[in-house]
Amino acid sequence: MHRMPAGPKLTLFAVVAVVVAALPPVWATVAVAVVVPAALYAVAGMGFGAGLRALGGQVWALRWMIAITAVGQLIFLGLEPAAANTARVAAAVLVAGLVPLTTPVSAMLDALERGLRPLRRVGIDPARVALLWMVTLTTIPVLARHAADVRDAQRARGLRPSLVRGTLPFLVVALRHADDLGDALAARGIR
Amino acid sequence: MSERAATLRCDRVVARLGDREVLRDVTLDLDARTTAIIGDNGSGKSTFARLIAGLVRRTSGELAVLGLDPERDAADLRRRVALVLSNPDVQIIMPTVAEDVALSLRPLRLAHEERNRRVAAVLERFGLDALADRPAHDLSGGQKQLLALAGAFVRAPDLVVADEPTAFLDARNARTVADHLLADTGHALVVVTHDLALARRCERAVLFEDGGVVASGIAADVVGRYERALAC
Repeated sequence: MHRMPAGPKLTLFAVVAVVVAALPPVWATVAVAVVVPAALYAVAGMGFGAGLRALGGQVWALRWMIAITAVGQLIFLGLEPAAANTARVAAAVLVAGLVPLTTPVSAMLDALERGLRPLRRVGIDPARVALLWMVTLTTIPVLARHAADVRDAQRARGLRPSLVRGTLPFLVVALRHADDLGDALAARGIR
Repeated sequence: MSERAATLRCDRVVARLGDREVLRDVTLDLDARTTAIIGDNGSGKSTFARLIAGLVRRTSGELAVLGLDPERDAADLRRRVALVLSNPDVQIIMPTVAEDVALSLRPLRLAHEERNRRVAAVLERFGLDALADRPAHDLSGGQKQLLALAGAFVRAPDLVVADEPTAFLDARNARTVADHLLADTGHALVVVTHDLALARRCERAVLFEDGGVVASGIAADVVGRYERALAC
């Protein structure tokens, strides 16, 4: 799968994610939503074991999203729909998460730009949209590091890291990063 | 570099950030291949560098960079001027070393083969070829700054503006980065720096103080004047 061209791969994953997300809220959906991501990660080209470990890492990263979704669904809808809805949402996100794991960002950027070319007719610049998407994608791990730095700074001051105390410093750091990112893009000749 | 317009022509340029005047009546002509901008913190050096690179707009005065108006000819200027910042971490955008360098070539819309060839050549020039597929954020500070230089030089700019490029580096890496910046590869260099040894290696230097130019001339003379002022 890692050898597949980026354009068809993105399309395939998008279709799979949409189909899984559209499955009905029944127990069988839970099974499908577990098997499909597991199968895709296993054959993604990382190696069977490494692929499943990567899946495990992604699931762990999504644990709060999964937990909050499950609890909310359980309160309002009952066990079977809660399980199915949570599973299909998680599966869609996990399938989407496979894309950056198996595709160089530059290849995704090229594919996205090619795919968006028809939108030139309505005044949309495919290069800028693709760049915006790419910058968003690559900024996520950077912001995660900044959040970790804020927590470390709190610990260094003898404080227990907390969401309330950490939100404002994180926002300041994130906004500064946005400014720096603008400068970095300008430094490359990219408007 | 073939016959070229003067690097910089500046006539009574004023720049304000908010209600603060950060550059006042800057009049300067820069024609040397390498120019150092020195001065205390808050003297306007970085603002001047960003003005040249088109990141800051002037409030008044006339400004021509490589014969171009930074506002009217912004697109042309972006193609010909590369900027290197002090913090290597903020300059890395793409996940891997090679992808990060290749990002600089995207506006040129080159064929893949030509893009890959240029990336490979510049990585080799900066000693990063063995790290092409390495995650860019895993590099050391010195390697990251070399990556930033690679990303700047891959576009073969006519002018490189470097704002404190060695600020975050140890002495060895600072020397390596300075050697690359000062090498005669067809570009002009304007470098803002607190490193007076680097400033001395330039042909010319400009001393800023309180937003204005107080000295401009041969680098050794200007740096010497600044060192004498520091000793007082």
